[in-house]
Amino acid sequence: MAKTLSLYVERNTFIHRVDSINKILYVLVSVAIPLILPYKFVAVLLILISISFLLLAKVMRRVIPLIEFSVIILLSIVIIQGLFHAGNKTVAFHIARITFYKEGLSYAFTLSMRVINILLAFAILVLTTKPSELIEALVKKGLSPRFGYVLSSALQIIPQMMSAVGSIMDAQRSRGLETEGNLAVRIRAFFPLIGPVVMGSLIETRERAMALEVRAFNSREKKTFLNERQNLRSDNVIRLILFSILSLSIVLRVLL
Amino acid sequence: MKKIIVENLKYRYPLSENLALKGISFEVEGGEFIGIIGRNLAGKSTLCQALVGLVPHFYKGAYSGNVEISGMNVLENNISELSKKIGIVFQNPFTQITAAKLTVYEEIAFGLENMGIEIKETIRRIEYVLHLLDLEKYKDRNPFELSGGQMQRLAIASIIAMKPEIIVLDEPTSQLDPQGSEEVFKAIQSLSREGITIMMVEQKIEKIAQYADRVMLMSDGEVVDFDVPQKIFLRDDLLNYGVQAPVFTRVCRSLNIKNKNTGLYPVTLDEAYELMVRHEQNRS
Ligand SMILES: Nc1ncnc2c1ncn2[C@@H]1O[C@H](COP(=O)(O)OP(=O)(O)OP(=O)(O)O)[C@@H](O)[C@H]1O
Ligand SMILES: [Mg+2]
Repeated sequence: MAKTLSLYVERNTFIHRVDSINKILYVLVSVAIPLILPYKFVAVLLILISISFLLLAKVMRRVIPLIEFSVIILLSIVIIQGLFHAGNKTVAFHIARITFYKEGLSYAFTLSMRVINILLAFAILVLTTKPSELIEALVKKGLSPRFGYVLSSALQIIPQMMSAVGSIMDAQRSRGLETEGNLAVRIRAFFPLIGPVVMGSLIETRERAMALEVRAFNSREKKTFLNERQNLRSDNVIRLILFSILSLSIVLRVLL
Repeated sequence: MKKIIVENLKYRYPLSENLALKGISFEVEGGEFIGIIGRNLAGKSTLCQALVGLVPHFYKGAYSGNVEISGMNVLENNISELSKKIGIVFQNPFTQITAAKLTVYEEIAFGLENMGIEIKETIRRIEYVLHLLDLEKYKDRNPFELSGGQMQRLAIASIIAMKPEIIVLDEPTSQLDPQGSEEVFKAIQSLSREGITIMMVEQKIEKIAQYADRVMLMSDGEVVDFDVPQKIFLRDDLLNYGVQAPVFTRVCRSLNIKNKNTGLYPVTLDEAYELMVRHEQNRS
């Protein structure tokens, strides 16, 4: 499989088939709601919902490394807020001679829940949506096709460039260039490497630009899309549900 | 009908002092297969780019003269408009892949999507070119996973899907291994059989001799000669232009084996073989 930059996990589930615009809306709504309704249980509820979607999409295992990574950040939030939050008054507990405060810990909890919530909502989007589909959906919604092209080609060209760097490095090494060792050695190895890579990609870029031109890339016709997605009734239902939930939370905010 | 009319075309690249094309004129009929030969920097690629509109729309610079492609003036139409009539395939198969698509199938669709071709028609054309270029097996592959020859055939397929009447091939096999080159030459032959007008720059002179109806000999931004291969390869000054006649032609010439009807030396292996056999029979 040629490498592309993507976290997409191929599965055949309902979640995968949901319109990518709806997934973006889902991210926006689940980021917005805890801000509109700043209660701890709201964020927790949203997290539980996202987790169930991830389970339904059979991609939960891919989320765990993400969570592991964020644990470090969350832990530092807990420590810093628990110790130094501005409103700290009530002592929660001591570890050695260090005092943690309830207010700070509570604030840290809210913050952590929000971060995890955002993370999981994004995880649904990136793990269950092909980047190409997502970009195409955005182009259909009015994103400039040029910008769309830059995004989708970068996903494939960057890994290609990395492997070019790898082979140039091998070539330079086989000519006796030292590429491993201390920093000075590495910096010296960098220059003979970067020349061919930059020149190569400049030439490639011009050639590819010509190839795009002759494939009507700058045509003024209205573009068509090969992967025209059938608009399903469920798309509209999902969109309606998302908007209702968002409106409901705004109403609740005003009433409460 | 005339597919290509070039009248006194002169062109100079921006920042360059010399003309890359110095007043070129010629005409090409529909369905012809034209071979273009000449030494390095003769202006072959520049001419190719001038036919598809990359000169002067992509490369600016000083331009004069007149180029008409199926009745469309190159100066007055943009590259996208021209791409409906004329396509081009370059040397490097790798940079002709858009990199925006994940499968061979979608890659072919790229140009058609840009042209706004409706989906049913797009699918019909993709199926047709997949078959024509023998790429059906690879339709779900990532384009970057193809071999050089397959990639180049994909580049050709992507252009042919846009239904041009003319295709320009600028040294389409110079970066391929022998097997890849053979695949591509076979593909080009099938295009010719479909009636597509072909302009091909190629160093492999035997291939030019085999396919071309007429050969254009270029040197230093000018067309030196434009005639049937038998006449071009008869020239005594070919080496001055960095070109050597096909080996069969040179052998038959040294043995003075000619085609009795035309009085010309053969240019392809088959032709040479036949004449040699007859020559032997006459002797015994
Ligand atoms: N992008 C460019 N900018 C400036 N000058 C160029 C450019 N490309 C080509 N030229 C010049 O135009 C002239 C014709 O070059 P061209 O590439 O058309 O020759 P060619 O016959 O295709 O050569 P080759 O056999 O090497 O491909 C040369 O003098 C070359 O230096
Ligand atoms: Mg050239």
